[in-house]
Amino acid sequence: MKRQIKLGLLLSRSGSYSLISEACRSGALAAIARVNGDPDLDLSFVPVERDPGGNIDAYAPLCEEILRDAGARHMVGCVTSWSRKEVIPTVEKYGGTLWYAVPYEGFEASDHVVYTHACPNQHLLPLLDWVMPAHGRRAYLTGSNYIWGWEMNRLARERITAAGGEVLGERYLPIGSRDVGRMIEEVRFARPDFILNSLIGPSSYEFMAAYRALGLEDAAFRPDRCPVLSCNVTECELPALGQAAEGLVAAGPYFRGAPGAGNFGSSHEAAAFSAVMELARLLAGREGSETWPLSQLLAGRGGIVDPETHHTVLPVVIARVEGGAFRTLKRWEAVAGDPYLTRSRSIPTPSLRVVS
Amino acid sequence: MKRRAIRIPNLGGAQAIILHRPHPTVQALSRQLTAIGLQVVQTWPELGPEALAADYIFFDADMGHDGMFPWEPGQPPIPMIALIGSEAPGRIEWSLKVGSHAQLLKPVGDSGAYSALLIARDAFDAQKALSAEIADLRRRLEERQTVVRAVTLLAARGKSDAEAYAQLRQMAMAWRISFEDAAARIVAAQGGADDRSERR
Repeated sequence: MKRQIKLGLLLSRSGSYSLISEACRSGALAAIARVNGDPDLDLSFVPVERDPGGNIDAYAPLCEEILRDAGARHMVGCVTSWSRKEVIPTVEKYGGTLWYAVPYEGFEASDHVVYTHACPNQHLLPLLDWVMPAHGRRAYLTGSNYIWGWEMNRLARERITAAGGEVLGERYLPIGSRDVGRMIEEVRFARPDFILNSLIGPSSYEFMAAYRALGLEDAAFRPDRCPVLSCNVTECELPALGQAAEGLVAAGPYFRGAPGAGNFGSSHEAAAFSAVMELARLLAGREGSETWPLSQLLAGRGGIVDPETHHTVLPVVIARVEGGAFRTLKRWEAVAGDPYLTRSRSIPTPSLRVVS
Repeated sequence: MKRRAIRIPNLGGAQAIILHRPHPTVQALSRQLTAIGLQVVQTWPELGPEALAADYIFFDADMGHDGMFPWEPGQPPIPMIALIGSEAPGRIEWSLKVGSHAQLLKPVGDSGAYSALLIARDAFDAQKALSAEIADLRRRLEERQTVVRAVTLLAARGKSDAEAYAQLRQMAMAWRISFEDAAARIVAAQGGADDRSERR
């Protein structure tokens, strides 16, 4: 007889980042189906779904419904860092755990959150270390106007200046805004070596389309000369980007078709899937463990979650969109998440020029 | 005055000492600090000599007392963060007097340590920079008399005050010493008394 364990899903199925939510949702549901169909596991998950519809103020009340009213202790959810930070006090209050399956900007290690996607030492820093020798060190930074864009650009600025590079411009758009004209004009005049795009949803789609048009007008802005970099674009948004995605270079723990990593549509799907599978592994064979605090659940069980930081060891892949799919440019097998950049931060070496 | 650039310190491997009796607050704070990447030592009721090698001190403001720190009162050599439970004016006054740079309210939960570390580090750096600047200005103020005397000596050779002043500046640059030190050298060479030695 399987134990029935409630598992919350707090994902916005409409609104500006719904494509990412849907990817997380299908990863989580696939894992739930796998767990429920596995006769060797003594548990099955009963999903408790709530949909904030992309409205930031709906997250905390719906989180309370999952944890207090439905009585779940674990939930998978949130896409933006803003919404994650919004629900943490509620999760803390009810002794719950949020499994967060989206790349984020680091500098957090909540006792009540497990981070199964990448943080900056697993996306942004390797990406910058790749682009600067390949394309140059003059950058233009864009982002959506909330913590993800702000912190990504702050870190990028720190890394680029430490490497002797230069930030030519930095501009933000409110979530959902398509008003990219000014950014494109600034890029046209600044003529950077690369662009870091931390916009999300429609802002990002609009920016990529306008940048592609700029590249058709002036070859200096073609992706082989001045690429756009992203740490949040995955396959789940390629249909919305269409041709505009060609040449985009992204970093992430998984891209479709990666060897030996299961067959996922995107890293969001993979990260949500592995969150649910890991939770099942931690709960399996331990009667009553579904009410334990996360620290007790993790203690002495090994697995993918670092008990100190609640981050995970992941591959780091840098890949470029070519013909509608990501093609790997560079890959590291196992990099531990280092949210405060205190465990692995390498001292940036000044690049030496050969003098003849 | 332009604000100093804010430095986000690299906290990896930094040492934190929690001066507090064993308590859930110590546990919660240790968890946060360990997650951030610091090494944590808990001690009570006073700091041992290892405190001099630490990078941050968290201390109990509720039960704290003078004499728990191995340095001059109010002169901590590293950033100090008060752990405040009872917000009584006397206790806050005491934690300010011992020189705290930031505070964290008890009970300590799942957050707060990172911002306390950064704010304490910045306040500590700011205090240190200001003290150094004030000491330097004070020294230069005290040596005004020596400068006046040196300029007078140089002017006695038929120069105007402005020319003598410019000459003194050039000498300081040539000798690669401060303006005040150059003035002291001139005065000493002319057999005049150096203010500074008189003062000491």
